[in-house]
Amino acid sequence: MHDRSGDNILPRRDTSWGRRLREPRRQGAIIAAYFAQFLKSRMSYRVDFVIDLTANLFSLGVQLTVLTVLFGKIDALRGWSYEQVLFIYGFSLLPLGLFNLVGVNLYNFSEQYIIEGNFDRVLLRPVNSLAQVMFSSFGINGLNELVLGSAVMIYAGGRYGLSFSAVDIMLLPVFAVSAALIFAGVFLGLTSVSFWFEDRMGLAPPVYNVIRFSRYPLTIFHPLVRALLTFVLPFAWVAFYPAAWFIGGEEFRLLALLTPLVGILTFTLAYVVWTRGSRRYTSTGS
Amino acid sequence: MEPLIRVENLCKDYQVTRRREGVWGGVVDLVKPRREILRAVDDVSFEIPAGEMVGYIGANGAGKSTTIKMLTGILTPTSGHVSVGGLVPWRDRTHYTRHIGAVFGQRTQLWWDLAVIESFHLLRKIYEVEEGAYRKQLDLFRELLGLDEFLHQPVRKLSLGQRMRCDLAAALLHGPRLLFLDEPTIGLDVVAKESVRVFLREIRDQLGVTVLLTTHDLGDIQQLCRRIVIIDHGKVIFDGEIDELRSRVGDRIKLTIELREAATSASLADVTGTMPVIWRAGDGLVHEVEFSRRDVRSAEVIRAVVNDRPVHDLRIEEQDIEEIVRGIYRRGDAKATDAADEGQEAGDA
Ligand SMILES: Nc1ncnc2c1ncn2[C@@H]1O[C@H](COP(=O)(O)OP(=O)(O)O)[C@@H](O)[C@H]1O
Ligand SMILES: [Mg+2]
Repeated sequence: MHDRSGDNILPRRDTSWGRRLREPRRQGAIIAAYFAQFLKSRMSYRVDFVIDLTANLFSLGVQLTVLTVLFGKIDALRGWSYEQVLFIYGFSLLPLGLFNLVGVNLYNFSEQYIIEGNFDRVLLRPVNSLAQVMFSSFGINGLNELVLGSAVMIYAGGRYGLSFSAVDIMLLPVFAVSAALIFAGVFLGLTSVSFWFEDRMGLAPPVYNVIRFSRYPLTIFHPLVRALLTFVLPFAWVAFYPAAWFIGGEEFRLLALLTPLVGILTFTLAYVVWTRGSRRYTSTGS
Repeated sequence: MEPLIRVENLCKDYQVTRRREGVWGGVVDLVKPRREILRAVDDVSFEIPAGEMVGYIGANGAGKSTTIKMLTGILTPTSGHVSVGGLVPWRDRTHYTRHIGAVFGQRTQLWWDLAVIESFHLLRKIYEVEEGAYRKQLDLFRELLGLDEFLHQPVRKLSLGQRMRCDLAAALLHGPRLLFLDEPTIGLDVVAKESVRVFLREIRDQLGVTVLLTTHDLGDIQQLCRRIVIIDHGKVIFDGEIDELRSRVGDRIKLTIELREAATSASLADVTGTMPVIWRAGDGLVHEVEFSRRDVRSAEVIRAVVNDRPVHDLRIEEQDIEEIVRGIYRRGDAKATDAADEGQEAGDA
């Protein structure tokens, strides 16, 4: 007779090494597929797509012009040269761009997923819930910032007479990604708050404004602001400390090297809040 | 034998904010919101063995969806236990959801902007379905559900019935052993409803999938399930076979008699004499008489009337499940209202 005793048990989680090694590949393939579909569905609204692209190029041009005008008038800022200030600004755009590529989904998370109950669908799929939300659409505008930031850094670095060692070249993307993790962590933390308070908190916009501070040499600010940006909202690590590795004095070198640590810590902390929050998710009555 | 699904003393509370009326009320709400606890699922326990198709029924707001959401790992219970095949849905979520399928009639699981077939491809990647198994499964559903005509259309352009068929296929592509259906026929017309029912019967018989089906449409249940669980105000008020429900509530029969000559109910009551039947007041020509099949046979009642009066027409109606359930609701209501009165205030925190 057919043995049905196994029918009542679902397989345990496969914790073998084969599985563990395959898992990142699966997640990678899913993200790639999401991205392909995103492009496809964007292109299906062809007119929108062209308008978007044009608008992006236009805004890129405007930003470059504003920058030239703005920094053309400044020679130095409390001991920081024009080139140094510009370099920090350029670097700050890298993590911002990286974050914007996937972080756009966090901005309207509360409305889209919690209030409308679409988080149900996310939780029904055997994929990490945060990854599903983050990669559900992509902020192509982020590419603007990456291009703009790199251009500004190359320009400023060139005028400053900066020479990159092999280590520097390896550290640059590490710093950029770590700094992006800080952004992601801060906004993820703010987003997760909406699991506790259903009404939209509107905390993100003011915090987003604080980002602006991160684009200037930290030493020009009052010590209180400096401490705040270093320890509370760690935006100092988003641009100034890592950028100072390349153009700053010796005193910032150690702090710069801490950037990855701060990035991982911030993000991990936020992820814990997110996980706790998801357990409180109540869906919607139909 | 260990059941596939085991639910023990499951409870779910929602915190609801009750808005005050008027402009001033709105201001007061901002400062001091009135929060209350609503117990949507209240001490629910049941077990489902592998291979069964069970109907989970109740009126709107009874707590059906909330239960299904806890069983699928979407919601974390306030208290109680759920174990499905030895896994705890919300705790083992990313692993557990590989083995189940779920369809929520109110909300599609598919990607709004993508063509149906592209949604399926994505799901294949997500669930790591082997190419061969995927083909086989897809072919089966294309045939059973007639998907071909809209497989290449974006989901947003589908009718509700078409969308539901796609959702059913999507939920089963990865060959889950369990299927949760929350109101799969809601809003569908008669034809679409029927095709969903036929499909569910097919997969139950062909694939042996265990199904928990939520509905407030009793037609679904009558055609698909032998066993039903009825909940009302979050509490289980019946768990058993439909036949058992019938006999428990009393297998009532209603006989409608149309006479050739007008008569009063009282005079007709004399005709049936000591038989345990109840005559409803009629308008003279048309009368209704009710009795339980256990007490008296319909043939006897009919013979008594026909022998005494000229009868024009006769109609026998068995009470349908809807009425049976309504009878149970009425009893359940009394209990549930008491419980609601005891609901606590959540405080102002
Ligand atoms: N997310 C929610 N927040 C607050 N109350 C809810 C929520 N979901 C459901 N409810 C309430 O819980 C009760 C049960 O709802 P539900 O489980 O959706 O019932 P059913 O599916 O049987 O219609 C209802 O009173 C409903 O208003
Ligand atoms: Mg419901």
